[in-house]
Amino acid sequence: MDLTLLTGYGFWNPLLWLAFLLIFGGISYFLWALRGNPAYKPGTEQVKPFISGNPEPAKDLVHIRARHIYWGFVEGLRGYYSFARKMHTGDVRDYALWYLGVGVVVLILLVGGI
Amino acid sequence: MILEMLQDPLVRVAFAVLLPIIAIFLGLFYKGLDRKLSARLTSRIGPPIRQPFRDVRKLFLKENIVPENSIPWMFNAMPLVAMATSLTLLLYIPFGPFPAPLEGRGDLIVLLYLLAMQPLAMALGGFASGSPYASVGAQREMVLMMSYEVPLATIIVGFAYLYASVPAAASAVWAPFSLGMIAQTPVWAVVSGPVGIIGLLILLGVLLVVTPAELVKIPFDIAEAETEIAEGLLAEYSGRNLAMFYLSDAVRSFAMCAIVVVLFFPHTLSSLVPLTAYPWNTEPVLFTLETLWFLLKVFIVYFFAVTLVRTSFARIKVDQAAKFFWLHMTLAALFGLLLIYLDVGGWF
Repeated sequence: MDLTLLTGYGFWNPLLWLAFLLIFGGISYFLWALRGNPAYKPGTEQVKPFISGNPEPAKDLVHIRARHIYWGFVEGLRGYYSFARKMHTGDVRDYALWYLGVGVVVLILLVGGI
Repeated sequence: MILEMLQDPLVRVAFAVLLPIIAIFLGLFYKGLDRKLSARLTSRIGPPIRQPFRDVRKLFLKENIVPENSIPWMFNAMPLVAMATSLTLLLYIPFGPFPAPLEGRGDLIVLLYLLAMQPLAMALGGFASGSPYASVGAQREMVLMMSYEVPLATIIVGFAYLYASVPAAASAVWAPFSLGMIAQTPVWAVVSGPVGIIGLLILLGVLLVVTPAELVKIPFDIAEAETEIAEGLLAEYSGRNLAMFYLSDAVRSFAMCAIVVVLFFPHTLSSLVPLTAYPWNTEPVLFTLETLWFLLKVFIVYFFAVTLVRTSFARIKVDQAAKFFWLHMTLAALFGLLLIYLDVGGWF
């Protein structure tokens, strides 16, 4: 029985991929566990985070929030984001107008057959 | 005869397991060539070509430090996930004269997802390290991924659109996203005019720019940036864990360059040189020559997309990279796609 998923244009057999992932995971694990050295010295300086010799700051000071992840993205596309932010006025009537406007455009595109 | 042998399910499974393992050696060998050539380009002697093999051997001997702030199970699991997913990439890529081990069981879209899994595992490993440098590196990796995936997906859409216009009877494995079909029918023969060829050249240029970003190489090695954030998401990794990331990077680099070759340069040696005219044209000799030809093409792509670029450029900042991929590269890819649309529609 062929369990390949067909989408009309694309195809994929997830079970076969999973089977090979397990095989390669097993090979990687044996390489990692049998050839690698598992030793280290817990509770020593060795396990402290590397911060170029500086003292470790308090945990809450270096806590990473979700918005930090996108910093480079927001900074790189600052022009777009400053434009998009202006649209977010917080007034629900503005959002309803946007919804209506975009709905009209979509309808014109779909019903108009463009 | 060799292709008939590959029809046997047992031989096929053995091929599917062996090929990625061979790719580890090839990846390390290409890494060695890359380091040697990069050194020669900057008037240095450079390390011997076998240095990456020595590095891996040494890393396996070194201590495997698990930081006290880390999430140990995730910190240790991610190098294995990165390695295993990188190896599965090779299952879907035709290897020179050999079909992909899982031919017809996965297409270009699967490859697009699998390509994203190793950086994702590295980012998760970075976050699990509990180190500020690693967290910053992981954030940068996520931003970079979100940036280069758009032009990459546009290239794949361009290919699918082009191959969807090919009549089904033209190929035994008809499917617009099939790498097997793309390998059998070079894309340059599918476009019908100069506009399509210009469109393809633009897509090729974009893919060559995306390649170093996909492989986290200079100028897009922002997530590792040794001089700023001390290897970033790898800052806390050592020993066998670092060795696994090193190996997965070698495999992935080979796989990515092989994808570029299959998409844009699938031409066999026998299609360029009349090999069958020679008296030694036995099947094993022809397969060996074709395999070497394929490896040479992968090396050429590796040299131009990775070695030359990383030797010539300096690292750019993460916001510059985001802007570059989202604006310049996406627009270039969309323009290439538009030209292909015009070519397929017969507008020119």
